[in-house]
Amino acid sequence: MNTQENIEKLIKNAVIHSNPNVNKAVLKEFLQQFDNVETQKPAVTQPKIRRTIMKSPITKLAAAAVIIALVVLGLFEFIGTESTSGVVWAEVARKVEASRGLIVRRKESIPPSEDDYSIIYNSPRHCRTDFYKDGQITRTCYKDFTGSDTDALIDVFHLRKHYLVTKYKKAGLNGVFPEQHEGAMNPELLVQTILSGKHRKLAQKTIEGVLCEGIETTDPACMSPIPEYCDRLDVLLRLWVSAETGYPVLFERKISVEYKGEVGESESVMDQFQWDVELDPSIFEPNIPTDYERVERPGVVGL
Amino acid sequence: MLEDRLLVWKCKHGSKDAFCRIYEKYRDDLLRLAISLLNEADIAEDVVHDAFTSFIQNANHFQLTGNLKSYLATCVANRARNANRVYHRRNNPGLDTSAQASDSNRPEKWIICSDEFRQLNKALAQLPYDQRETVILRAQGGMKFRQIAKSQSVPIKTVQSRYRIGLDKLRSLLNSEVTK
Repeated sequence: MNTQENIEKLIKNAVIHSNPNVNKAVLKEFLQQFDNVETQKPAVTQPKIRRTIMKSPITKLAAAAVIIALVVLGLFEFIGTESTSGVVWAEVARKVEASRGLIVRRKESIPPSEDDYSIIYNSPRHCRTDFYKDGQITRTCYKDFTGSDTDALIDVFHLRKHYLVTKYKKAGLNGVFPEQHEGAMNPELLVQTILSGKHRKLAQKTIEGVLCEGIETTDPACMSPIPEYCDRLDVLLRLWVSAETGYPVLFERKISVEYKGEVGESESVMDQFQWDVELDPSIFEPNIPTDYERVERPGVVGL
Repeated sequence: MLEDRLLVWKCKHGSKDAFCRIYEKYRDDLLRLAISLLNEADIAEDVVHDAFTSFIQNANHFQLTGNLKSYLATCVANRARNANRVYHRRNNPGLDTSAQASDSNRPEKWIICSDEFRQLNKALAQLPYDQRETVILRAQGGMKFRQIAKSQSVPIKTVQSRYRIGLDKLRSLLNSEVTK
């Protein structure tokens, strides 16, 4: 005999299957629709808003006031004032992306790192990171993004005199978020990362004698993909850009992740940026002393 | 939940991969919901198809305030209700009792039902539509009574009573099948 609970279970557990061929065909059609929607403008929105405004005399007056305020603000922007922002963030993103080469210092304060700091040399196709402790290089990490399917990583541990070779799949997580493969701390993605979420501008500040303008976000969407095992994610990303050059000068990141009551935190800073520098290609060629032992991780690692 | 918010956010910013993930994640659940509500595979497939199409068209303005699965389930339920009404008007008595989850004549099937599922659907189809919808949204869609009440524009007590009566009827229908 079926009880009420059994019936509920029966309904809950009843399964159907979908035809994989039809699934693919339907998805293909949806993706075409997606493209069409992307290129279309919502034609009905504007008349609707205009009608709503013009229906009521109060909203009509309010709309007029807003338009006047915008015109005045626009004129101030056109004429130029002392307090006008000098930084156009989209332009910063473009400049950063166009940078031929970059040198930057990174410090991890939480969790406490074995190293004092690291120096990153970044070019569009290569990256090298030197980790320092008490003024000595303890580890060098070479990343090569020139492969068609995989990226190569060679990690040279100078104190242990060995090195590790790993190959990573270019697109992680079923290809949903391939850009993350280059790392959430990729300096060239910093501006895009912050702009991709809800962000706010900060008041001007002088950092090491340079007048800077800042932008910050606490939107976890910036850190996508969010790890699967994550109940809570608190994020604070703050970027300071030189008002004169339009290049980033300081980046601060604080992250707190909680899963099943356990909390993991990370805090890091990037500073001493040198943008658009011509980097000698030879610095990206792995320099491994002959007495170092090679430890190779078999196969290809996906994210 | 967090993943869904990110996927919706990415969709709004034009990520096709994010849409693919949403489609893969919820497609089968929505098909199951639609076929349970309508007991007619062709119409159920159309309803799910329309729900995804509407999601794509409104992705730019979409604001996810709750659960994505419940949102999509409500979309499917609303469309299924309309489809049932239209069908009922045109072909009395309609989808409620006479139709079967038959898919033998269709050239390319999207939904593939097991015999057990067909048996269950046959019993579900004998419930009045309001009760059937309530039972399915609650037991299968995992929706709260409050959400169902909002979706059906009725008081929460009505939804609770529809659910109780619907389950009782279903139990007696399935028990009589067993004793036959």
